Amino acid sequence: MPVTRTAPGIVRVEREAMTLSQRAYLPQILGGMLRTFRHFLRNLFNMKGLPTISYPEVKRVYSERFRGRHILTTREDGTTRCVACYMCSTACPAECITIEAGEDQRTREKFPVRYDIDLLRCIFCGYCVDACPEDAIYMTRDYEMSIDTRARAVVGLRDLVVPPDFPVEPMGWRPYYGKMDKRGTAGGTGIGQPIREAPYKEEMPIPNPDVYRGA
Amino acid sequence: MSTLTRFSAIPYTGPAPTNRNPYVPADVATIDARGAEIAARAGVALEQETGLDLPAFIVAKEAIVPTLRALRDHTEFQFDLPLDLFGVDYPGREQRFDVVYQLYSVKNNERIRLKVRVGETESVPTSVDVYRAFDWFEREVFDMYGVRFEGHPNLRRILTHEMFQGHALRKDYDPAQRWLLSEQGVAKLKPKIDPRFEVEHSDFERVTLNLGPSHPAMHGTLRCAVTLEGETIVGADQEIGYLHRCFEKMSETHTYQQVIPFTDRLNYCSAVINNVGYCMTVEKLLGVAAPERAQHVRLMLSEFYRIADHIVCIGTNLVDLGALTNFWYLFQPREEIIALAESCSGARLLPTYLRIGGLAVDVPADFLSNSQRIVNMLPKYIDEVEALVMKNRIFRDRTEGVGAITKEDALNFGFTGPCLRAAGVPFDVRKASPYLGYETYDWDVPYAEGGDTYARFLVRFEEMRQSIRILQQAIDRGLPSGPVIVDNPYVALPPKEKVYNEMESLIYHFKLIMHGIQPPVGEAYFQVEGGNGEVGFYIVSDGTKNPYRVRVRPPCFPIFEAYGHMIMGQTIPDAIATLGSLNIIAGELDH
Ligand code: SF4
Ligand code: SF4
Repeated sequence: MPVTRTAPGIVRVEREAMTLSQRAYLPQILGGMLRTFRHFLRNLFNMKGLPTISYPEVKRVYSERFRGRHILTTREDGTTRCVACYMCSTACPAECITIEAGEDQRTREKFPVRYDIDLLRCIFCGYCVDACPEDAIYMTRDYEMSIDTRARAVVGLRDLVVPPDFPVEPMGWRPYYGKMDKRGTAGGTGIGQPIREAPYKEEMPIPNPDVYRGA
Repeated sequence: MSTLTRFSAIPYTGPAPTNRNPYVPADVATIDARGAEIAARAGVALEQETGLDLPAFIVAKEAIVPTLRALRDHTEFQFDLPLDLFGVDYPGREQRFDVVYQLYSVKNNERIRLKVRVGETESVPTSVDVYRAFDWFEREVFDMYGVRFEGHPNLRRILTHEMFQGHALRKDYDPAQRWLLSEQGVAKLKPKIDPRFEVEHSDFERVTLNLGPSHPAMHGTLRCAVTLEGETIVGADQEIGYLHRCFEKMSETHTYQQVIPFTDRLNYCSAVINNVGYCMTVEKLLGVAAPERAQHVRLMLSEFYRIADHIVCIGTNLVDLGALTNFWYLFQPREEIIALAESCSGARLLPTYLRIGGLAVDVPADFLSNSQRIVNMLPKYIDEVEALVMKNRIFRDRTEGVGAITKEDALNFGFTGPCLRAAGVPFDVRKASPYLGYETYDWDVPYAEGGDTYARFLVRFEEMRQSIRILQQAIDRGLPSGPVIVDNPYVALPPKEKVYNEMESLIYHFKLIMHGIQPPVGEAYFQVEGGNGEVGFYIVSDGTKNPYRVRVRPPCFPIFEAYGHMIMGQTIPDAIATLGSLNIIAGELDH
């Protein structure tokens, strides 16, 4: 729509009077139909360029910062990195982390005997990851968290702790060291976006895939 | 500093202060001088309160209505836009409540703050006759603090349920209390009949129809009860609060940093803009400024989210009008914008990307190239949808002259943003009081005449084009180098590698997580241009880690208040068309 400058930095958007063909209604409607039909044909003969994704057969790959379900990382010797310092639960705005600390009799190290995250309360803000001074909690790119009971939304140590050799690379939100030069994957729905076929490939592990199936 | 002890009532139990000098704005001398000037020439008695970030005055409660009227009608000052009215509670003070009025003058581009002090048993005369916007604002203060407004036509709870007990924002209200609320205690909504239709002049029986709260055409959980005479709406009453999530009370029990994710959820269509508003208010209190690189990214994401917000508004409004195709067309670029935000922050709709003092992490390496790609694709979609609808006869017949509001009414109802600009007032916070460097960009504020639904479409389409202009310039300038968050361990977490390896950083990290950011004692207001109007945050700090009071000025609150006025005398389909064009976001409306 045409604009008129009425003052520096201010423009007025004008209403155009309808032309005869617009008033006559039919030519414009046909024009609109034609436009829509062009889209239809283009999509019909170019299925690859479609902006939609056939989830769940095909899945979006989110960026390396995606804030999905959490994991607790492990040291080489197999103990969890978490030292039950309560920093994450203090920083959590949703108050959804419950920790109980225990003491390792041998090393005198503190460690969590209970570490529960209520995923229904969690707002996936990533503050717990930012708060952890021990590199112990990461967020994954796992975004499929459907459950059938409320109790199952509370994930504990058994679901969260991953083995020491768990690959960190395809992970989501985690503490970044120094300069960030990782590329994001702002693919959107456009053509050439990063998508992958389901099921998950080998190099895309998800921690404890059976968490949401059994009790 | 005035003789009034502003914060003496607040017990301070936090850790030893780090910077406990009260907050003093940088240009306090100019503000106070202007305040003195207004006080001298306003023609009413105003007791000035100095040392604040706006010219502020204390008004006796008996004098508030004449004062407001004098300020509104003053030929020189002309405070014609009521921005906000809210309460603050200082228990222990003899008159424990502050009722705060914030006004804006379009003519002079300035803001003032008026405070009225009331005790628990006292009441304030209502100012609904001066500013119609204050009808709902006064109800909110009554709901939250129990302050009564004498002469108010409809003083009942607005955000909480009728069976709710107590007043939630009072300091002595325990947020852990739970009330059993049921349908029984709810009074039936009886829409007030517009004076024009007082006498029945048709054979039709009048019926009351509920639109919402769960109705596909009511965006979010809005409810409007209308009385129909035949097909004409002769009375309307809106009910809100279905999505009330205690944002303000919750902020008081969380640290400054923890409030950021909550602000995301106010206007969830343009979450980053809320983040910017909140973070910049706290930064104002702290006296820090985000590094240039962070500011640049904040500006770019704000503009992207503004476009996304307008896309949602235009798209859903067209769905309501029966034009579904445009919704699909427009949502593709929106998806790209949200994917861009996800590549920066890790979350799509509610990015929580900002931190006080800067950004959570630096943008990814391909941020600018992705932005350029989106900026290149956007005009095609905007042009296409505009071509499809704006010259379409059906669309024009359904929107032109529908839901119109005059310039004067729009101001009096406290409109801001695209809805005010569509009524012919070119007020945009980005131009009026630029932040993030908006003044250095070449762009225009679009406005339109008429104030109807069609005008709102005109303004939104043009605003998206202006945002694209800003974005193109921002991309051409490139990202400034440097850090993305201030290097101040009292504000921002130290970098992780330092936390893992250095004792001092680890201590700062612990301190900041456990004791939070502690801004100096004081109060500050800061406003940004949101997707649907001025988003302002008013924060009172008592020097502890939790904000003493966070007030958000939700732009759609006064706009939805005027909705009943706008649809009077029209039909239901017109009402639906109007509602969509107002862009009411329930998350923000009900805070
Ligand atoms: S992501 Fe946020 S809400 Fe969820 S557990 Fe972590 S801190 Fe809490
Ligand atoms: S996960 Fe990290 S922050 Fe949370 S208790 Fe364990 S060590 Fe502390």
